[in-house]
Amino acid sequence: MSRLNPFAKLPGLNTASVLLVESEEHFQQSLAEALVEETSVTVNVRLAKSFPLPIENDESRPRIDLVVFIINLTSELSFQSAEASLKYLEPGYFLGKVCFMVTNARSSSVPAERLDAVRRLAASLHCPLLFAEEQTPQGVTNAAERLLTILKAAAGFVPFTTPLYLSNLTRCTLPPDIDQPSFD
Amino acid sequence: MDSSGEDINDMVKKDDAPKGPSGQKETSTADMLRIKQQMSNQCFEMEVHLNAVSVAGKNRRSCSTSEAERDYSDHISELERVKTLRFNQTLALHRMQMWHAMEEKIKTNDPEADALRAVNQRCMALCCRIKQIQQETRLLQDEITELQKKRLEMKRLTHEKMKEMEDLMSRKEHPDTEKYKAALEKGQTNLEKYKKMSIMAQNVLRGLLLACKINWLDDPKLRHVAMTLEEFPITD
Repeated sequence: MSRLNPFAKLPGLNTASVLLVESEEHFQQSLAEALVEETSVTVNVRLAKSFPLPIENDESRPRIDLVVFIINLTSELSFQSAEASLKYLEPGYFLGKVCFMVTNARSSSVPAERLDAVRRLAASLHCPLLFAEEQTPQGVTNAAERLLTILKAAAGFVPFTTPLYLSNLTRCTLPPDIDQPSFD
Repeated sequence: MDSSGEDINDMVKKDDAPKGPSGQKETSTADMLRIKQQMSNQCFEMEVHLNAVSVAGKNRRSCSTSEAERDYSDHISELERVKTLRFNQTLALHRMQMWHAMEEKIKTNDPEADALRAVNQRCMALCCRIKQIQQETRLLQDEITELQKKRLEMKRLTHEKMKEMEDLMSRKEHPDTEKYKAALEKGQTNLEKYKKMSIMAQNVLRGLLLACKINWLDDPKLRHVAMTLEEFPITD
């Protein structure tokens, strides 16, 4: 079982590489386009559906600074696929190089337990949890901006900040009443 | 199509850095510094990782997550403390460096140094003036406090005096009038008694004079007595 190792390759000069993992492959594209707009840093975006990643790309793949799991709350498969992909990552990634992004959180067809489950997962791994709105271009730009902040820290562009330090500030925490029934 | 396929999507479409005449990307000094910073950050991370791995290899003790969490937050607060300390020290260092640079500049005889010196003089003059004014304010403030204290003292005294006066006034009537009243009543009863006696005596004398038909006009002593009889009314 080949895991993705954060320190297996040398980092690129003035580049940051991010891997977007989404089982539906909806949001990836527009988010990738928005991310590439960044001018001060060369952003390398790679897209994947799920882990394990194909071996034939291992050579050409640069060192991945940040792995983003995009979970669509309206489908259970999305969440399960993300969960299953986690074991293909080296533990070194979970010190601030993994991020969860959730879409469609406002949709009414979403059961409350799924969001709770995602929250629990993110909190147990000490990773940040971002909420994104994929339908409007403004939403995509906003999501890309926030992702870029985390990406810059993960790639070492922020002085005196390591991704571990940033993850301590941005990590997902569980609200104390998560086990109690919600409004509806 | 592989179900877990990965797109090789090198979507670096934008050409951000300005190109020189040779077509190479020009990296300015700031960019170089930034790249250097990035590399040092990455190296630091890798170093930490190596250390962690080697340490874990040496002592494989199983630590619980709660213990790790506690250590973690302790480390974070220690980190914050050290960061603030370093920041303050850097500030102090910059201050010293700046002053040193200014000193060096003033020692030379440039027109800039002259301007700097003039500004310096002005600053000193202003500082002296500020000190003076501060002293004066302090004196005035002391005077004001003194006056306020005196006024408060006066107020207190007047208050006390008023209270005393009120006290006395309410107190005085009572004991004096008590004794006074008793004596007054006694005196009055005595007076009534003697008045009645004198009226009776006068009535008797008047009766005597009338009954015995005594000629009191001629005798001056008798006339004097008879005149005084009219002073008291004839009461029944």
